[in-house]
Amino acid sequence: MAIFRSIEKNKVKTDKVKYFQVAWQSFAMFALSILLAFAINQFRSDRLPLVGDWSIKTKLTAANGDRLEISFEEAEKLFMKKSALFLDARSMDDYLKGHILGARSLPWHDVDQRFIEVTEDISSDTLIITYCDGVSCEPSCNLALFLLDMGFNNVRVLLNGWAVWLKRRLPVEKGNTVS
Amino acid sequence: MKFAKNRKAINPELLNPEPVIGYNKTKGENLNSHRMLKLSARFILGGVFVYAGFDKILHPSAFAEVVYNYKILPDGLINLTAIVLPCLELVLGTFLIIHFWMPVTVVMSNILLITFIGALLFNMARGLDVSCGCFSATAVESSMNILTVLRDTSFLAIAVYLLYSCFFHRN
Repeated sequence: MAIFRSIEKNKVKTDKVKYFQVAWQSFAMFALSILLAFAINQFRSDRLPLVGDWSIKTKLTAANGDRLEISFEEAEKLFMKKSALFLDARSMDDYLKGHILGARSLPWHDVDQRFIEVTEDISSDTLIITYCDGVSCEPSCNLALFLLDMGFNNVRVLLNGWAVWLKRRLPVEKGNTVS
Repeated sequence: MKFAKNRKAINPELLNPEPVIGYNKTKGENLNSHRMLKLSARFILGGVFVYAGFDKILHPSAFAEVVYNYKILPDGLINLTAIVLPCLELVLGTFLIIHFWMPVTVVMSNILLITFIGALLFNMARGLDVSCGCFSATAVESSMNILTVLRDTSFLAIAVYLLYSCFFHRN
């Protein structure tokens, strides 16, 4: 019995040592990763700041300082005058279920595959308004910045475009109506 | 000879014992195959982590964009995560391959994979269609779907096996 008790004691001691080992080695591993990360970041040419500005305001500001966001009223006026081309940045499935009348589909996740096909007949001075769903509307922001990089000079973003368009009962259509 | 009288009869098999590899030959084979499996698991999982971390270290801004798109972390932690997480993956992968600090490496691997799968499932449930950022920092990598979750779950299965080997399996 004494032998079994000492074996149990040793087992508990070994387990405690193991857990303590895991604990201090976890800290050491984190510390090593952080040191390595900061060292790599410090010596690289495209250094990332430790705290970045990720507000939507910053994201929607082009490199030359112009704001990309367009108000809903302005977008509606341009739609009525047919002075702007609307690009739907949502997925194809969402586009087929319903989109702004006359809008073309250019899903942000397929932009590499579909960019040329969708934009080959659009001149670089055409006013393009990208939209998607949601207040922050990431795909439309990303698509707008991408189009600016690709040489289109006049790109705007209609934040939460689809939801507000539906709410105001403005013209919509379904299916793939643009050949 | 007093000594000879008090000695118990010795089993002749104990004088020339056969070399013991495990309990018996079948169990010995099992142990060897377990060791091979563990070695393969370490190399596979380690390789995955090293590969996953490498591209993200090369493109930190793009990876920060991916982290931002997940909409889980506060803005102040996005850049820090984008800088530190790929290095953590690289360190974990390297430690797995060289068999260093195995208990903690295996535990951290499991925690990391569970966190990734949790984040994927959470965003899929929210209907957020963003790129996974699992192996590439480019935002136009395949968007997350159930196949991404299954792939990560298979990595988690390997990590759980290593956890079992490390903490519970009796060699």
